[in-house]
Amino acid sequence: MVKAARKNKMKRRDFLKLLSMAGYGMVAFSCADKDKAEQMANDAAKYLGDDAVKWSKAPCRFCGTGCGVEVAVKEGKAVAVRGDLASPVNKGLLCVKGYHLPAFLYGKDRLVYPQLRNANGGFDRISWDEALDLIAEKFGTALKEHGPDSVAVYGSGQWAIFDGYAALKWTKAGLRSNNIDPNARLCMASAVMGFVTQFKSDEPMGCYEDFEAGDDFILWGNNMAEMHPVLFSRILENKRKNPSVRIIDIGTRWTPTSDYADTFLQMEPGSDLALANGILNLLVQQGKVDQAFIEENVIFKRGIEDLAQIGYGSFGKDAERYTFKDKGQNSSFEEFAEFLKTYTPAYVAQITGIPETQIKNLADIYGNQKRGTVSLWCMGVNQHTRGTWMNNLITNIHLVTGKISRPGNNPFSLTGQPSACGTAREVGTLANRLPADMLVTKPEHRAKAEKIWKVPPGTIPAKPGYHAVDMFRALSRGDVKAMWIQVTNPWVTIPNLNRIERKPNDGRFIVVSDIYPTPTTANADLILPSAAWIEREGMFGNSERRTQHWNQLVDPPGEAKEDAWQIMQVAKRMGMGHLFPWPEDDWHKAMFEEYRSFGLGIGKDLASYEQLKETRGMVWPVVDGKETLYRYAAGYDPYVKKSKGVHFYKAKDYGEKAAVWLRPYHPPAEMPDQEYPFWLCTGRVLEHWHTGSMTRRIPQLHQAVPRAYVEINRADASKIGVKSGDRVRIVSRRGKVELPVDIDGRGRPPRGTLFVPFFDEHTLINKVTLDAMDNISKQPDYKKCAVRIEKV
Amino acid sequence: MNAKRTTLSVLILISAVGLVAAQNSSQDKIEVPGSEGRFKSSATERAQRRAYNGAPPVIPHEPFGAACVACHTGTGVEVPGIGFSPPSPHGETPGMTHMSRCQQCHVFQDYTAIPFTESVFEGLEQDLRQGDRLYPGAPPVIPHRVFMRESCLSCHSGPQAREEIRTSHPERTRCLQCHAIGVANTDVSPQIKALSPGLIE
Repeated sequence: MVKAARKNKMKRRDFLKLLSMAGYGMVAFSCADKDKAEQMANDAAKYLGDDAVKWSKAPCRFCGTGCGVEVAVKEGKAVAVRGDLASPVNKGLLCVKGYHLPAFLYGKDRLVYPQLRNANGGFDRISWDEALDLIAEKFGTALKEHGPDSVAVYGSGQWAIFDGYAALKWTKAGLRSNNIDPNARLCMASAVMGFVTQFKSDEPMGCYEDFEAGDDFILWGNNMAEMHPVLFSRILENKRKNPSVRIIDIGTRWTPTSDYADTFLQMEPGSDLALANGILNLLVQQGKVDQAFIEENVIFKRGIEDLAQIGYGSFGKDAERYTFKDKGQNSSFEEFAEFLKTYTPAYVAQITGIPETQIKNLADIYGNQKRGTVSLWCMGVNQHTRGTWMNNLITNIHLVTGKISRPGNNPFSLTGQPSACGTAREVGTLANRLPADMLVTKPEHRAKAEKIWKVPPGTIPAKPGYHAVDMFRALSRGDVKAMWIQVTNPWVTIPNLNRIERKPNDGRFIVVSDIYPTPTTANADLILPSAAWIEREGMFGNSERRTQHWNQLVDPPGEAKEDAWQIMQVAKRMGMGHLFPWPEDDWHKAMFEEYRSFGLGIGKDLASYEQLKETRGMVWPVVDGKETLYRYAAGYDPYVKKSKGVHFYKAKDYGEKAAVWLRPYHPPAEMPDQEYPFWLCTGRVLEHWHTGSMTRRIPQLHQAVPRAYVEINRADASKIGVKSGDRVRIVSRRGKVELPVDIDGRGRPPRGTLFVPFFDEHTLINKVTLDAMDNISKQPDYKKCAVRIEKV
Repeated sequence: MNAKRTTLSVLILISAVGLVAAQNSSQDKIEVPGSEGRFKSSATERAQRRAYNGAPPVIPHEPFGAACVACHTGTGVEVPGIGFSPPSPHGETPGMTHMSRCQQCHVFQDYTAIPFTESVFEGLEQDLRQGDRLYPGAPPVIPHRVFMRESCLSCHSGPQAREEIRTSHPERTRCLQCHAIGVANTDVSPQIKALSPGLIE
């Protein structure tokens, strides 16, 4: 038969058909064991039926990198993944979280039906109809009795685009409240305000191809090897091929990233503001700024700089509501140069602890026009009491040197969550925003949204709602009566958790949609089971403006439903069904096309639904089906009409130029003293994602890092008299936790600094942290507070 | 897009050619003494170290910092008192050899850890069938993805190689010269395609 097939030059597929008709055949495995052979033949037959293993594309569910995976589905369950070789993001590679991705769906304790808190404090199973009616009633009552400020939606950068869009539309056009904010406020808000204050449009100009195009990679407080491992691998690969590539790691502790860096610059917590100004000062003093570029593309702005007036948002006059607003004034290059003169290498070395020679080296790297420079940052810069300023300062360096919007030359902000960009930032599920860079405070923006949403003019309120931290303070005060939390775990992640402890019968109604029990569901009145990732159709947008679509590949467990469906059902019960006029079984495409219409023609053009279904994601703006790798760059961005150079066309208020902001150094909100002599920094580990509610349910990841710990310098440990594994108590002015000690492990803090990962719900480090915030973005600083350590 | 069709085709091909191979088993089979017992234990061991077939194995010993390649060299070494350290298979991924950070994918397991919750995940099982052959006696095609497994001999030769997949001719180091990559097209990067003239399309 085989020979016949070859002779006749049959097509392979026909040949296979013929063979399969002849019977599935025996296997080539050692046939001495007949039972085994028979069983394997049966297995083979099983493979060939409807239950064959099918591989389909999807983006990874975990971080903001947005790696492409192929998911194997067998008998209705996800059984394996592999890195997608066709994905331009990861090119086949994954990290340990990605490789164990499908297992997160199969924890034994998945939430599979709605549950309502009973009089004894436990939960009873109820039906979806009862649950949805109850939400409609509670939100309706709150609206009627206390007005639109008394309802709130707390969402997530892990929302699929559909969920975020449904929640935004329901809140702003249905409830007529701006009280919607995502956990991305705790994660990316400073980067948003950085881009918005400088370019009047959010999100980076560069893309992941910068990792191959760049020569020098400056990491600002960024443990990329653990937090964005696949992207770090791309830099390492560039370095392997081009030995002149350098990685400069600026940080407050030695991390696995430092192991691979050419230079590790250890700085004092919060002193990055001084360092960036020091670099800018040297660039100006040494004439290494690109005057022609500045002349053509840059304006100078200056905001409020008075520390007393700005504050930190956590104590004193800002203890309840932090509403500081920065007012920009026009400045000039001359004023900028004068402003920088304070930041001499000697002064900067004194604040940062970084030697003068190294500060000069950094200025030389940034000032070298022959080499491409990419600045990278994530939580170190964003979770910062002056995070927006720090974002501004890094971008300032790129603007004054003209090293921006060119391959290998960009300031690149990395995101933490899979759709922090796609949902929180692009859909605009923030208290002050609307889709496609629009603001609720601008009448023309509200009018555009009202027109697309077909709601009467004046529907969307002009007053911004509560930002995340204030939202939970308002909940504690009792100003927020009804709150819906989706895809996030605030009772682990809100800083200074002591402020949001719930009391029984407090008169609030909290709905939590999630896939597993968490400390947040434990604080809920109503728990809804959600469908996750490939249990529903979805889209995410990653750090490089790439929108990625996936199909539903498996059924959700039990009665679990996708978050957008939950919101639309409640909206219908509240008489807001007109907001979601699509057929119940076929609405994803219609909803996406409506959402997409917000950004068309204004440089925020998303790819079409069909194109996103077919491709491994598209980088917006997508015009005529073509993606834009470098925004604002002639030759790449179709909105740029110049033949060469850059054009910051989104900044209409700035004459289509970018703004360099003069931003001084301010000290952190709380610094070590005699009583609390240590710095506490919190963060993540490679193996766990966010609060670990998914990754801890994957045995291989849980067993890799089963619990939180505190990293301490060996000298400090011996002074206190503890060794690795001993338990200590970390105490701040706000709270305390007990943890085992880890000395010289993966992270090595200098003397006087402690590091604790936040994923462990059994040791809530956020009972210790400080709820001080950035003055502009209102993003809290999880990286710096003062603690003491006690031997237990 | 056509992943289903191609996967299906490959599976049919594997089992179908199995028929042919079984008929010719005497000339086809490489006899390895004692392979029966060894096979069972090693396949079990292999499965225990992976969440599913294709997942990166966990590290079965306490890692010695980040210096993995000190023992896991290109050929592997006998570490006194511990055993043979298998070499890394990630030798020659074209255009993608940034495998210097091993613990990005391979992690040590603390099996004494109190389980967080029980998992009911059932990973894809190891496919115990051998690769197919175009005709009896032809060199078998490679039944798995080659990406990140370019260094064939790290698994198919040496003391660490499981006997049932051990090559009879480790001295012929250019494996892809005779063994085509028989998995679905979607599996294969353009670089691998270029290196694999015998690729079944």
